[in-house]
Amino acid sequence: MTKKIGLYPGCVIPTEQYGYEMSIRKIMPELGVELVDVENISCCGAPFKSINLVMQTYLSARNMAIFEMEDLDIFAPCPQCHLSLTETKQRLESSGELREKIVSRLLEEEGLEYKGALKIYHTLDLLHDLVGIDVLKGKVNKPLGWNIACHYGCHTIRYTGADRPDSAEHPMKMESIITTLGGTTSDYSEKLNCCGGPLMTTHKDSALTKAGEKLKAVQERGFDALAIVCPLGGRVLDSKQERAAGMVGEKLDLPVFYLTQLVGLSMGMEPESLGLNLNKSPVSKLI
Amino acid sequence: MSITDLTSMAETQLGSKKEINERLLKIIDEVADSCYQCAKCTSGCEAHKLLELEPHKIVALLKRGLIDEMVNSDIIWTCMSCFKCRERCPQNVSPVDILFTLKNLAVANGQQVPGAYTAWLQSIMTMGLLQDVQEVPLGDGKVLKREDLGLPELSKPMDAAMFQMAFAGVAMEKM
Repeated sequence: MTKKIGLYPGCVIPTEQYGYEMSIRKIMPELGVELVDVENISCCGAPFKSINLVMQTYLSARNMAIFEMEDLDIFAPCPQCHLSLTETKQRLESSGELREKIVSRLLEEEGLEYKGALKIYHTLDLLHDLVGIDVLKGKVNKPLGWNIACHYGCHTIRYTGADRPDSAEHPMKMESIITTLGGTTSDYSEKLNCCGGPLMTTHKDSALTKAGEKLKAVQERGFDALAIVCPLGGRVLDSKQERAAGMVGEKLDLPVFYLTQLVGLSMGMEPESLGLNLNKSPVSKLI
Repeated sequence: MSITDLTSMAETQLGSKKEINERLLKIIDEVADSCYQCAKCTSGCEAHKLLELEPHKIVALLKRGLIDEMVNSDIIWTCMSCFKCRERCPQNVSPVDILFTLKNLAVANGQQVPGAYTAWLQSIMTMGLLQDVQEVPLGDGKVLKREDLGLPELSKPMDAAMFQMAFAGVAMEKM
């Protein structure tokens, strides 16, 4: 059965983290998910929660209205977008004043109608719950065979009240997907630690130090690779791995993959079609 | 419309300041009796070790009403919004949300915000997204762009002028 869903790539994925987008577009149709591209979208407003709450709410609501008018649920592979959309949906349910201001005035002026009835998916629950482990299992024809550490990213799992794709303190969906793909994995103490990504634009050195510490921990524990589901994670853990290594004074050579790239590899897809030639970490060690 | 207008409009943001102050008063009311300074928030804080953010002290300062001191300090801009403090507080206090509110107040007061935000606001005003498509340098000196990768055209607001007006309206709270 094919499920139709609107792809909301946000800002960072479609302008920079191309490997995430390419692998999503490549694997989803094979898994029974028809991705629909939607015009007229904008930033979800997540960074502007620090500036002005109304600004964030307006931007997220505007995007959701655009998808609702096309009768689509929304797939936000970026955890920051996913959280911002989810929080906004909740906020508009609980605050009549904000709903009146944003929905009835601003959006209507643009000819948009927001109902707040759409479902919001992230990569993790889309693969694990909507596609499902059984379907995934049936598609694997090239089991990975590597020992892979999972990095969820802060906004994928926190905070509990905001309807996250997995548990805040004991997330296991990524592990369950990795083992389905023929990989092995295990818990590690730094699993829930932040990658530093959100600090990249304001405190670059601290961001890269955090990324370096995370990578170092994973490498020292003997994992072959690290799997991620967040474009800000991709930016520091993969794209800037060399600079992160410099910050912590270590030689780092840890292959970092988007989970969707690993799904594609396990299905026997060409690495280049999954954007793997764009990864800056040494993924060629394994593929 | 310049970015200075968007981020430092103390006069035009009176309504916004009132709303933020109300939010802050509500938080003070809630935390006054609940936070007992166990510092569990600080022990897990992702910005603690490197940037010296101490969420339990933020809560303590708030209880003492030292709001201006925090709003005028750079420390509120070091929070990485990892939400561990909110997740783990045994008393359901949420330092991360206190910090969001303090940052909102700093902006409404016309305080200088970190440069990245100004650049983001500028980018949203011009194209609706945080940044335009970036080139990817490959090892061999070649450069790839989005269109070289077989990806569809970037989706952004179709009526840029209308989006700009609506967004500026929200930014200035002139609704």
